[in-house]
Amino acid sequence: MKINRKLKTLSAFAAAALALSLTVAGCGTAPNPGTTANSGGPVTISFAETMVSGTQKSALDHLISQFESKHSNIKVTLMPEPNYGVLQQKEVAAVAAKNPPTIGQVYEDWAADFAKSGAIIPLDSYIKGKDGFSPKEIADFVPTIWKDQQLPDGKTWMLPFNKSDFVMYYNADKMKQLNKTAPQTWNDFATAAQAATSGANNSWGLTIDPGTPTAPANGTYLWISVLRSNGGHLYANGKIAFNSAQGVQTMQLFKDLYSAGALKLGSNYPGETALGAQRSLFDMSTVASYPYVLHAVNKKFNLKIAALPSGSAGQGNIMQGTNIAIFSRTTAAQKQAAWQFIKFLTEPQQTAYWAQQTGYLPIRTSALPLMKAYLDSHPYQKIAADSLQYAKAQPPVPGMQQAVGYIGDAITRVLTQKVPVQQALDQAASKAQQALASAQ
Amino acid sequence: MTGKRTRLEAFQAYLYLSPSALIFLAFTLLPAFYVLYIGLFNWNFLNTSMSKFVGFSNYTALLKSPELWHSLIATFYFVLGSVPVGIFAALFIALLLMRPFRGLGLVRLMFFAPYVTPVVSTSIVWLWLFNPQFGLFNAILHFLHLPQIGWVQSARWAMPSVILYTLWHTMGFNIIIFMAGLTTIPSELGEVARIDGASAWQEFWHVTWPLLTPTTLFVTVINTIGALQAFTQFFTLTNGGPAGSTTTASFLLFQQAFVFYHTGYAAALAVLLFIIIAALTLVQMRVSRSEAY
Repeated sequence: MKINRKLKTLSAFAAAALALSLTVAGCGTAPNPGTTANSGGPVTISFAETMVSGTQKSALDHLISQFESKHSNIKVTLMPEPNYGVLQQKEVAAVAAKNPPTIGQVYEDWAADFAKSGAIIPLDSYIKGKDGFSPKEIADFVPTIWKDQQLPDGKTWMLPFNKSDFVMYYNADKMKQLNKTAPQTWNDFATAAQAATSGANNSWGLTIDPGTPTAPANGTYLWISVLRSNGGHLYANGKIAFNSAQGVQTMQLFKDLYSAGALKLGSNYPGETALGAQRSLFDMSTVASYPYVLHAVNKKFNLKIAALPSGSAGQGNIMQGTNIAIFSRTTAAQKQAAWQFIKFLTEPQQTAYWAQQTGYLPIRTSALPLMKAYLDSHPYQKIAADSLQYAKAQPPVPGMQQAVGYIGDAITRVLTQKVPVQQALDQAASKAQQALASAQ
Repeated sequence: MTGKRTRLEAFQAYLYLSPSALIFLAFTLLPAFYVLYIGLFNWNFLNTSMSKFVGFSNYTALLKSPELWHSLIATFYFVLGSVPVGIFAALFIALLLMRPFRGLGLVRLMFFAPYVTPVVSTSIVWLWLFNPQFGLFNAILHFLHLPQIGWVQSARWAMPSVILYTLWHTMGFNIIIFMAGLTTIPSELGEVARIDGASAWQEFWHVTWPLLTPTTLFVTVINTIGALQAFTQFFTLTNGGPAGSTTTASFLLFQQAFVFYHTGYAAALAVLLFIIIAALTLVQMRVSRSEAY
């Protein structure tokens, strides 16, 4: 009797476990909130994004409620992800499971991958449509940002969302002690960085993270900015081009600084840490990292911000931050609603609000007068906004992220393994070219 | 009657096994066979209908690529650097911990504690210990008037750094297993040896070590497989860098599959890794069978 009961309990447990395992297996196919068809009635669109904390979250929530009050038939649900790595994996997995969100933040090369597989839609028909943009409105976008929305096929696949570029942070007190001013050229920068370097004081010029092909980091993006300021290109005429004379010139600058002890390598945003700890004079990072730099500095000294120094061919910069794309496996009503929403985010009022709340840059020229008071009290935002005209994103080509990662390897090899500059760049370029080929 | 009963019991047994069998089937066995299938395609992760059948060309591309050989060298560097040292150090410490002394429990806990900590969180702490400018290790080197090194930032020192972390993390497990093995050895055998005039070393070499063979073998196999598959510490400490110096085969697999989305190629690599690990384990088992007492 007793045994029987035990058996029954066990059987029930087994059945329950079986049911559970089936539920778990079934979870992958549960529909996203946004993908259920809603023709006629209210439309729900889902937005895969990473604006999960601080003012980024509250500003996005605010904009969404504003949008929803204007469009009572549209509801926007957020699908928040903790960071871009996870966001990309989730978007890719959702597309692979044929169950994507309606819209999502995308980097240019993700968009290129998605477009190649038909996972997102081109927006040209919406732009030209009755709810689209007039030529005057298009001209109002910061030109480099508008261009950033297109893939090499010439079609527009995205609308801009959170954009930023690189600026130079420095310890103004130390700069004064050294009897120097903010460097205007990379040569000035090298002089200042070397002047700040002292074994006795355990101080130096700059710490960078070169990154790896798995996770390219700021050191590589700085390198690309310097390359562009010297007139070089990352990618030209459909081929990797960073192993040029300008590439060698750029790498030589890094090498000389490293040999002089003025440049050090680290990981995990080492530039902020070293600047904040009053060890290094500079940090090169995006304007969006201002709050983090400010936190690292913690009022220990006078922090100042300037545009990146210029090279032999003028200014160079790299545009950072994402755009928004509409996924193809969604209903026509959702696509239309999604278009209205992403267009709403780019309008001058909204982009001005977004910029003032988050520190990302306004994407429309006409937004600047709307935020005059803010720009007066936050002059660094103006510096970064002005630099946008020189900023280009990573070329939107499948495999570009991986390709760029090999620059980080080249930096490490030249600096720490004494590999000749040209050799390291040629090898990196050949791997980068292969990466593009295998992503096609 | 009894046949019926046996059948009923068998049926019940299968019923009870079914949940875990089903989970194993759905999440381990089927995906494993699916990997074999994917490996034959130029797989489009985003749109599987655009995948192209390419036969064994993923395998030929893999065998021809220098990155595979580079990653296998990195893997064996890691295995040879972490497994033998880890085993002998663990055995030595286990022998010491078998002797009673004050505070034994605390010391045992000290050695075992790292093993139960999550790799992700402790390796982030170690990342700060390794920090070339602000880390503890370079501060110690500085204090000892030794040259400071780049640790995980240096292509030369990154692998030794990861090995050091791994030794710290896995030591506790090996020690426990060795201590368990040591307790199974009857103490009379050691006493007999000592009566016959054996020194401590002779006692260890002729009595303890041979009798410990099954334990040593188990630890060797488990550690080798663990080291061949090690991933998390590479992911958090080095990301396979600097300059590819810590891109082991299992890290390369992750990179190709989930960073670059070269899914078919990565599947081929997974199959190759499976064959390597299976072969090595088989060799270790064979060696053991001929040597075990």
